[in-house]
Amino acid sequence: MQLRELQLEMQRELLGAPSAIDRAIAETPPLPTQARLGIYRHAYLARLIETLEDHYPVLHDILGDEDFEALGASFIREFPSAHRSIRWYGRELADFLAARSPFDEQPIFAEVARFEWSLGEAFDSADAEVIGRSALEAVRPAEWADLTFSFHPSVHRLAFEWNTVAAWKAMTAGSDPPQPERSADAVEWLVWRRGLENYFRSLDPVEAGALDAALRGSSFAQICGELTLLLPAEEVPLRAASLIATWSESGLLTGF
Amino acid sequence: MSLNGFGLGLRPSHYEAILGESHRIDWLEIITENYLVPGGKPLHYLDRIRARYPLVMHGVSLSIGSTDPIDRDYLKAVRELARRVEPAWISDHLCWTGVEGRNAHDLLPLPYTEESLGCVVARVGEVQEALGRQILLENVSSYLTYRVSEMSEWEFLSEVARRADCAILLDINNIYVSAVNHAFDPLRYLHAVPKNRVRQFHLAGHSDMGDHLIDTHDHPVAAPVWNLYAQAVAHFGPVPTMIERDDNIPPLGELIAELDRARAIAAGEALEAA
Repeated sequence: MQLRELQLEMQRELLGAPSAIDRAIAETPPLPTQARLGIYRHAYLARLIETLEDHYPVLHDILGDEDFEALGASFIREFPSAHRSIRWYGRELADFLAARSPFDEQPIFAEVARFEWSLGEAFDSADAEVIGRSALEAVRPAEWADLTFSFHPSVHRLAFEWNTVAAWKAMTAGSDPPQPERSADAVEWLVWRRGLENYFRSLDPVEAGALDAALRGSSFAQICGELTLLLPAEEVPLRAASLIATWSESGLLTGF
Repeated sequence: MSLNGFGLGLRPSHYEAILGESHRIDWLEIITENYLVPGGKPLHYLDRIRARYPLVMHGVSLSIGSTDPIDRDYLKAVRELARRVEPAWISDHLCWTGVEGRNAHDLLPLPYTEESLGCVVARVGEVQEALGRQILLENVSSYLTYRVSEMSEWEFLSEVARRADCAILLDINNIYVSAVNHAFDPLRYLHAVPKNRVRQFHLAGHSDMGDHLIDTHDHPVAAPVWNLYAQAVAHFGPVPTMIERDDNIPPLGELIAELDRARAIAAGEALEAA
């Protein structure tokens, strides 16, 4: 067997597809060929399942070893890794949970996965210098309308329909999670890293609207325009300025 | 840049301890891929630890034996990290990890044939040119033998190093694990490897499954591996040596005590009964 063919067959074997690799393996003591191949099949699955456990520790705790392993095995069959670093393996798990029976019966599972992946991304996203409030205070009033804002690369926006973050916090603290509960409206969340530590907090609809507009590159005047849909016009400029001051104090802004 | 003495694999659970006080550690080996990230804690600690210790880079995704084209983006990322870290050397494994763009994240054995030799030698040349330096290739633990193999693993490793002009990272535990799994004499392996190309030794623990061994890196170094290490030191002379622990990671002090044992063996002290 030529090298290319041998590698394709061996990879098929690892990925759980029918393969002819056993014909290429020498029968040598002390182990039969199937046992030798089994070591590699097991190592492949075990390493990727362990990686998913590392990336989704709370989901792992919620599901327990057995169900998480079953989830991992079916995910791994469908999503073999194409990443050079295992750090990035498992990104699609939230979408997988949302779309696959029986996991789709508990939509909070997918939301927990989405939250944990965002925390992971914030953890080692790029470093960037943030600006403080004093930098904004130096801007002349006439210049505010055209200001646009740039954000720390760790900033992630999420919206959850379930009490996902409450469940995550309880599990992380070692307590029993609350029963899954759906809120009337989705709750908006912000995840970011400040220095070396991750932070998250919920956003009211006004702040969420303003932040999403700013993240899209809207100017201060455009952000104010969006807020007039949510607030009395006379309150808008002050509220928008106060939100931007809050963002700068929280280490979200890297420039304007 | 050269390096001597005794090192440990850098693991995140030891970051603070390593920065806290001075230790009997001469250098540290990082897993290259763990630092191919944009920022945050991994690179923050890496820079601080680099200011205190010499480092070497040890990769797991080079896939030097794959029949896929070389991953140029990966090489570029490794080169950029090397610029930041200024490692004494860069190593990876004599294996393949996937084809068709996949990564099995496992160190899969190659058939030891002229065809594989040609493939690996050409790719080592490409890698050494792209990185602008000689690399070290490490022997992996293996659990199977391909029918098409035309030579032993030690002949293959030695020939790759000679033809590609690369260096060797000799993993003493992997030699022992493969010797048990394939019923060969580990001393034959040791004595066949070209002395002048061996730049580093790895030591690690394995799991005894009864009729075979698995290279798990989750135990202390086993007694027969210490014995083989003593033979390796006697044969090769002083070679920079480090202990790899990837799972069940104990407090740093325990690993330093284990490293002291390697120092004692290298200094010619008799092996204690394990």
